[in-house]
Amino acid sequence: CSKDFLNKPPEDQIVTENFYQTEEQVAASTNILYGLPWFGFNTKAFWAITELSGGNGRSWSGDVVNFGDLTVTGDNQLLYSAWESLYSVIAQSNMLLLNLPKYVNPAVSKATVNNALGEAHFMRAMAYFYLVRLYGAVPLIENNLDHINDPFLPRHRVEDVYKFIIRDLEFAEANCVKKMRGATYTANGHVSSGSASAVLAKVYLYLKDYAKAREKAELVINSKEFKLYGTDEVPGTNYDGLFRTKNNNNEESIIALQWTVDLVKYGPQNGTQASFALNSTITGTGDGWAVIGPTIDLQKAFEPGDIRRKSTIMLRGDVYPEINQAAGGYTVPDDANAQGTHAAIKKYVVGTPADNGGIGAYQKTANNTYLMRMAEVYLIHAEAILAGATSTSDAGALASFNKVRRRAGLGDKPSITLDDILHERRIELAIEGDYWFDLGRIDRAKAIGIINNQERGTYSNDSPPVIYSTKITITEDKFLFPIPTSETTKNPKFLEPPVPYKF
Amino acid sequence: FAQSKAITGSVHDDKGNALPGATVQVKDTKVATVTDVNGKFSLQVPNEGKILVFTFIGMQTLEQTIGQKSTFNVVLQTASRNLGDLVVIGYGQQRRQDVNGSVSTIKSSDIANIAQVSVDQMIQGKAAGVTVTQNSGQPGSLTSVRIRGVTSLTMNNEPLYVIDGVQVSGDGRNTSTGGRSVVSGPSTISGGGQTALSPLAALNPNDILSIDILKDASATAIFGSRGSNGVIIITTKKGRTGIGKLTYDGYYGVQQPSKYLDVMNLRQYATLQNEMAKVYGVEPRQEFSDISLLGNGTNWQKEIFRNAPMTSHSLAFSGGKDGVNYYVSAGYLDQQGIVIGSYFKRYSVRANIDGQVNSWLKVGTNVTASRTNENITVNDLKEGIVSLALQQAPDLAVYNMDGSWAGPLAGKDDGEGSENPVAKALSILNGVTRNKIMGNIYADINFSKAFTFHSEVSGDFNFGSNTVFKPTYKWGRYENKNATLYEGRSNSMFWSIRNYLTYNATFNQQHNITAMLGQEAMESSWEGISAMRQGFFTNNIYAIDAGDVAGASNGGYRGSGAQASYYGRLLYAFKDKYGLTATIRADGSSKYDQLAKKQWGYFPSFAASWKLFNEPFMKNVNQYVNNIRLKAGWGIVGNQDVPGFLYGSSLAVNPTGLGAGVSTVRIPNPNLQWESAMQTNLGIDFSLFKDKLNATVEFYNKTSKDFLYQLSLPVVITGGPDYNGGLSNPYVNLGKMNNKGYDITLNYRAIAKGNFTWNTTLTFSQYKNNVKELSATTTDITKTLNSGFLTFPLTRTVQGMPMGMFYGFKTVGIFNDQSKFATLPKQFGVDFGQGPGQNWLGDVQYEDVNGDGKIDEKDRTFIGSPHPKFTYGFMNSFSYKNFDLSVFVQGSYGNKILNLTRVSAGGLQRLYTNQFADVANFYTPENPNTNIPRPRRGDDNPNLFLSDRFLEDGSYLRIQTVNLGYNFSSDLLRKVRISRLKVYGSVQNLYTFTKYTGYDPEVGAYNGDALQLGIDNGRYPSPRTFTFGLNAEF
Repeated sequence: CSKDFLNKPPEDQIVTENFYQTEEQVAASTNILYGLPWFGFNTKAFWAITELSGGNGRSWSGDVVNFGDLTVTGDNQLLYSAWESLYSVIAQSNMLLLNLPKYVNPAVSKATVNNALGEAHFMRAMAYFYLVRLYGAVPLIENNLDHINDPFLPRHRVEDVYKFIIRDLEFAEANCVKKMRGATYTANGHVSSGSASAVLAKVYLYLKDYAKAREKAELVINSKEFKLYGTDEVPGTNYDGLFRTKNNNNEESIIALQWTVDLVKYGPQNGTQASFALNSTITGTGDGWAVIGPTIDLQKAFEPGDIRRKSTIMLRGDVYPEINQAAGGYTVPDDANAQGTHAAIKKYVVGTPADNGGIGAYQKTANNTYLMRMAEVYLIHAEAILAGATSTSDAGALASFNKVRRRAGLGDKPSITLDDILHERRIELAIEGDYWFDLGRIDRAKAIGIINNQERGTYSNDSPPVIYSTKITITEDKFLFPIPTSETTKNPKFLEPPVPYKF
Repeated sequence: FAQSKAITGSVHDDKGNALPGATVQVKDTKVATVTDVNGKFSLQVPNEGKILVFTFIGMQTLEQTIGQKSTFNVVLQTASRNLGDLVVIGYGQQRRQDVNGSVSTIKSSDIANIAQVSVDQMIQGKAAGVTVTQNSGQPGSLTSVRIRGVTSLTMNNEPLYVIDGVQVSGDGRNTSTGGRSVVSGPSTISGGGQTALSPLAALNPNDILSIDILKDASATAIFGSRGSNGVIIITTKKGRTGIGKLTYDGYYGVQQPSKYLDVMNLRQYATLQNEMAKVYGVEPRQEFSDISLLGNGTNWQKEIFRNAPMTSHSLAFSGGKDGVNYYVSAGYLDQQGIVIGSYFKRYSVRANIDGQVNSWLKVGTNVTASRTNENITVNDLKEGIVSLALQQAPDLAVYNMDGSWAGPLAGKDDGEGSENPVAKALSILNGVTRNKIMGNIYADINFSKAFTFHSEVSGDFNFGSNTVFKPTYKWGRYENKNATLYEGRSNSMFWSIRNYLTYNATFNQQHNITAMLGQEAMESSWEGISAMRQGFFTNNIYAIDAGDVAGASNGGYRGSGAQASYYGRLLYAFKDKYGLTATIRADGSSKYDQLAKKQWGYFPSFAASWKLFNEPFMKNVNQYVNNIRLKAGWGIVGNQDVPGFLYGSSLAVNPTGLGAGVSTVRIPNPNLQWESAMQTNLGIDFSLFKDKLNATVEFYNKTSKDFLYQLSLPVVITGGPDYNGGLSNPYVNLGKMNNKGYDITLNYRAIAKGNFTWNTTLTFSQYKNNVKELSATTTDITKTLNSGFLTFPLTRTVQGMPMGMFYGFKTVGIFNDQSKFATLPKQFGVDFGQGPGQNWLGDVQYEDVNGDGKIDEKDRTFIGSPHPKFTYGFMNSFSYKNFDLSVFVQGSYGNKILNLTRVSAGGLQRLYTNQFADVANFYTPENPNTNIPRPRRGDDNPNLFLSDRFLEDGSYLRIQTVNLGYNFSSDLLRKVRISRLKVYGSVQNLYTFTKYTGYDPEVGAYNGDALQLGIDNGRYPSPRTFTFGLNAEF
């Protein structure tokens, strides 16, 4: 009697060894890898770190201002959030890789199990890919439980981190299901073998292994698994539609974080609109703090006629019929002025809950965050063919490159240089957290030149406005961020030089 | 009446006042009476009656041999130190002079007429070795009670409360029962902040008869695994045989903020903003171009604080007849908070009834039901009301011209400024209702003269609800068009059953033995559900059904825990000189792994005492120093306030855009077992000056070990807490910590002459905390603060030092000499210069602690201790004729406070943010001789790194209570059929002597966490309260 009396297993959680018993359970076991663990990275860290440092956005808000002039220190909350969040993706992936084979019911099909394991490898690789680009050498962890008793592990060399990433992505490429992305968006949510190939193309580009980058990009392009939304590949659509909640997991989406709104729980949602939106008329939920505004530099970077401009940033007088539909749409007021820019961010701003089928709340929307979409594969393809040369007129490169430009309402280029590609990448992927990493992977002197020339200042309230210019002087060592102080205090080995990883 | 004789007499107190309602009983019989309004009595005493016993609450019991006398005019002494008093020791009682462990007793009279909500606040300074700090001035919030230092590293450090036999954990965080507070609304709508509530707030202090505080392990070991933080046994009032009594206690009070901080007025603010515009490289604001045109602007502190009323009424009926005694009471309390929008209300009833069924059976019940209502404001964080009031710009108005709330405007302010704190405090509802039914039913069976059996069933049922409503609003550019409602319901159920058999016998008139053997089983279960909707049509009707079903969400949780125990105690006394106590308890808990056989823990104790004064050879000494008694004790107790199932691995279900997902919750540890504390206690009691001075001095040495500790592994291994998608750190047993200290209680009856008396009591507590060992892999415990937008180490705990030491940089001063830059160490790898992020004149110069020629992370060091060198309480009571006056002073010495409001409201780092007035003296080339650094942009600029700049001396001496009362004379009262009437006026928190620059040096522990002691992050300050009250007895 006393024995039963003292037996109290959890009543609101599942004991791990009792899970992984059905096809459905195993298939759903990877869902979490697209949500909650990424929350800390997605909400604020990714745009503060990448867009403010990269010069696409500016802010004088005390919490993020130090990214704008690259004076950020290891005490910064967002560097910590990013670090914690990315390692939580790794932790959950690792636990799945450990527990699924251990507890899975043998009746569950091999294909289902392998696909789940492939997704876990894939997400772990994504997390390391962000980590290595943000912090450089970082510790590699395959089984978290191995380090409980000896937590003072070292950092591992950058080349080993990349090797690890490639190994994981190759596993995912071999084990994840092959898919064809169609109009049934709910079926597109999980990554596929093709998603892994696409990321491999990007990783090889970073490693300047242009041949492999091209091979993987062409594999993805030729598979026709993903389509360019807003072209005749997906009739009746346009670029702007990529960023609507209802188009989550569209044909162009290669990997996206999958958010949902739970009013009670904090964490399953996309929280970016709260910081991006110019005001709470747009969000309807009291948030909308315009913590970031598009730099004058980014505003001027758009070519005339580029339809992506209005989908990326708001200028005074712009009309957005899809926002605040209850009031007949939203017109950007004449005094709009996010962070002194006379403009505001539009991308990832989706409007009120009513604009999104009733889904949404304070700091909560359900629109996906892209980690990669098909347009980038075309740009990778072009850059891989350029392969470090001054310029190229290769037909394949031009076809891929101009496909992206044409969708933006711009004319073809007869030949392309690296500057062309970088410009196109910056505009196409602005506010999607990529430009800073581009600046980090190109020739360092060139990157320093670009950054030092960016206008990061503000417009005055005069008419016509005068620019209060801010330009920064970046130094070589600023391209990577410090590991959070609270982490180096716990493990001083993180301050020591990295060591090789034993594969 | 051949078998009896009539006896008459009177009972007075030592001041000569008649004592109406005193019990006069013939010993060992049921023959008894009570005194009338003049303190007179008459009684028929049977011939076999030998001794009369005179008892009165708060007085020493007096026994008189009847003999041939027929008139007894007796004087009862106040029970300030009553050697014959009974002390509740858990599963039994003992005479005070026989108690071998360390037990402090607080009587109802000690806590009478104190305008505080809950009893834990009232014992502050009243017992040596007990440190009480109010963690927040929020009505109904958690008070931290530390008995003899800090025992547990990271687990609950609050004592176990035993209220009429019901065990209630003092842990306001509810760690062991699911870790959920009744205040469960998501911070996205409630605002978050400190949410721990006092578990004692439901108890009406007027119902309390006595509080016995079990301090050392030999006293608490009988409570085994729940005893390591000390045990506070609360006994409520019982009826007494005699005529019925009706008592009323009530007061009305006004609370006010005891201090306002000096922040910049509009002109100072404008000057700062113009300077900040240069720092930020933005256009200066046109309206600030001529500062002489500006006024003072809005004083936000005056807007959010108020004079708040407080009312309490308490009515009790008690009496007894034919072997049945009753005490029934009702109480009402309404405390408005000094921060607008906050309040606490309590309604309570109690019935304590016992009856002698027959010669061998007595049964009884103590039941209380209460309801508390409170509204909680957001505090103890950067966005809290108090912090916002310090930081909100004085150029903003509270109201618009049309009477609506104002706020920063759209347009040029886009992206800056903060919410109107007045609007925030008054608009967002965060209401908590707690209903509680707690009580027991018991039977005492006397099998024979030697054997008694006690059987008791008790229960504690709590039904809590939390309603958070965020209405639609427009405060300048902050607009919410989508009202949101959260409704949370949480229930917890606790029941226990205990049986124990007591044997008492005396052999050869020399050996007295009391043996007790018992069993106990307890089970707790808890569950909660929550629902949320938004899209309400109006702000007036907020029920779940009135919201939009689209996007509606709900949640829930449940869990349970159980404990089974066996215990025994042996008390042995020889010749009323030597006493011995031995106890043992075995506890089995569901918190540990059954398969790994870790469920059972064993907790023994021994104690001995020697009544030196009863020795013949002390005769000569006793003339000078008497009542000398020595005692020594040793015991091992445990702590088990941890969540359940930490030994296993489980998956939590979390929503994702792809449907429900499961995440691994934690890293399991099947080897988890009991945390234990071993304590040795040495004490001496003695009296001087013919019993005028009574002293108790006790030394203790407490070593706790195998802490139930949640490892704080680097985040790379865990990915952060489970609610962020990571794996919660595993709980392990590690470490060893020592607390050594002494408690001194001195009571001095200075004057008792004629109409005038002066009685003074000093309690003095000192402890030294030292972390003896951690583990090979956990060499330090770093507590990180996630405040606002920074994450940095805040406190650090390492081997060989006290726990929770403040950790940061040491400052040398301000750079004010350009020529020295060439020779000074580079700070944080940045060159000296005038570029963004570079260090220049006016920046903080840090000390190169490790002497490596550069200032970097490795130069963080220990910068101060949050532990007081000692704490004290000093009570003085005077009485003159019908007046009595008490003055209670308490304080703390030698502790440091980390004042984080100096970072947010004194950091000079943000636009549109107000600052303390004294930082207007910041460095400029024209003002180089200052200790305030230059304004610098961004929250993580190096000037704001946690350093000794933000540490302040937390010593204080507070005039806590001054109470002046007048007792109407009984002659006067008799005409209006009142037996006793007292009116009084009192002031709480009258004045605090301190150097601390924040609101209140009594900061406490953030949410009760021992590693976050002494951190002021915009704490809700404790009010100053003026009350007028009366006590009446009919």
